[in-house]
Amino acid sequence: MGATYKAVQWNGNKVVYDLYVLAALAAFIGVFMSVGLMAHPTGHTADPVVLLIRALGCAAFLMLTIILLIGPFARLNRRFLPMLYNRRHLGVMTFLVASAHFGLSLFWYHGGGPLNPFVSLLVSNPLYNSAPGFPFEAFGLAAFAVLFLLAATSHDFWLNNLSAPVWKALHMLIYPAYALLVLHVAFGALMTEKSPVYPALMVAALSLVSGAHLCAGLQEWRRDSGMKGVKATQGWIDICDPADIPDGRAVIAPLPSGDRVAVFRKGVRIHAIENACRHQNGPLGEGCLKDGLVTCPWHGWQYRLEDGVSPPPFSERVATHDVQLSAAGRVLVRVKKNPLGRAGAFIDLGAAP
Amino acid sequence: MKRAHRRVHLLLWPVVYLTAALGLVAAMRAAPVEPVSEIPSAILTEDS
Repeated sequence: MGATYKAVQWNGNKVVYDLYVLAALAAFIGVFMSVGLMAHPTGHTADPVVLLIRALGCAAFLMLTIILLIGPFARLNRRFLPMLYNRRHLGVMTFLVASAHFGLSLFWYHGGGPLNPFVSLLVSNPLYNSAPGFPFEAFGLAAFAVLFLLAATSHDFWLNNLSAPVWKALHMLIYPAYALLVLHVAFGALMTEKSPVYPALMVAALSLVSGAHLCAGLQEWRRDSGMKGVKATQGWIDICDPADIPDGRAVIAPLPSGDRVAVFRKGVRIHAIENACRHQNGPLGEGCLKDGLVTCPWHGWQYRLEDGVSPPPFSERVATHDVQLSAAGRVLVRVKKNPLGRAGAFIDLGAAP
Repeated sequence: MKRAHRRVHLLLWPVVYLTAALGLVAAMRAAPVEPVSEIPSAILTEDS
């Protein structure tokens, strides 16, 4: 969350995180090259440059696999939520590692000929109708183009200008890019491997990422299915008993529109705000109150519970919903949200009869 | 996440998985092949 634009939004924690990632990356490349030289002391893959190209490619694929696991794991288990905080830094670093892999490959394999290296990359292997000799570089190039687009638009500047839904839709291109990378490796490095271990590892990574996303998606689908039974009575829906809402936390409830509302308890008061954070549509109701402010569990954006407005100097706003107690003592939420910035009616349990 | 995003997300992954898995199977059926002994730019130099 920033009130002004900065090229890279570093803070103490993010600098330490980036240094850890760089150290892990250096260690990975060192181990990869050492083991590679021991396993294949002669031949094409004994060349240190070829090994470095493969180490960088392998590191980028591993980093992207981890990035793609963070989202669904955080949906399935709250303990993974802190990993979301630095995911964007990890994504940009993955692009930089992929750039090093791409640049070195281009220089090494296509830099010494009469053609422009980029032209050579595209025309040197025309065997598009042959599985054994398929130009796997095409898959890698397409995936790299996606990674470039996503890294270039990773800043909050683009998020604000494109709007959260458009930005999220654009960044979902990373999913087909992952499939392209699997094909790049399958038709590239794996084609010359005789050991079944490497294809098995690839299948495991693909299955883990796809399985985690499908599990998290099905969980959300089941929650959405519950919306079909939600019916508003005179514009209000019954949420729960006040005692069902833990202090400082929220109960998330579906609305007939398909959106969700987060009903928070702050001491003896109960307020409701829309569930989607302005930043990346994160689930505000899965966050908690910090310093009296609703805090998004994804990246820490904060809003006042009373009017849904971020505290100064920030200016983001989410809509509030009116709440009231029913005659039976249940929490009711008004389906229609209030205009942005308007304080919603709340329940004061201390004043309730 | 908004509901539309959740739906697209769920529908996209089976496609991603099937595409990648089928490609992987096709590649593995053709493997292993002998490593290319010459780099592409050298091959182009000879041809030209």
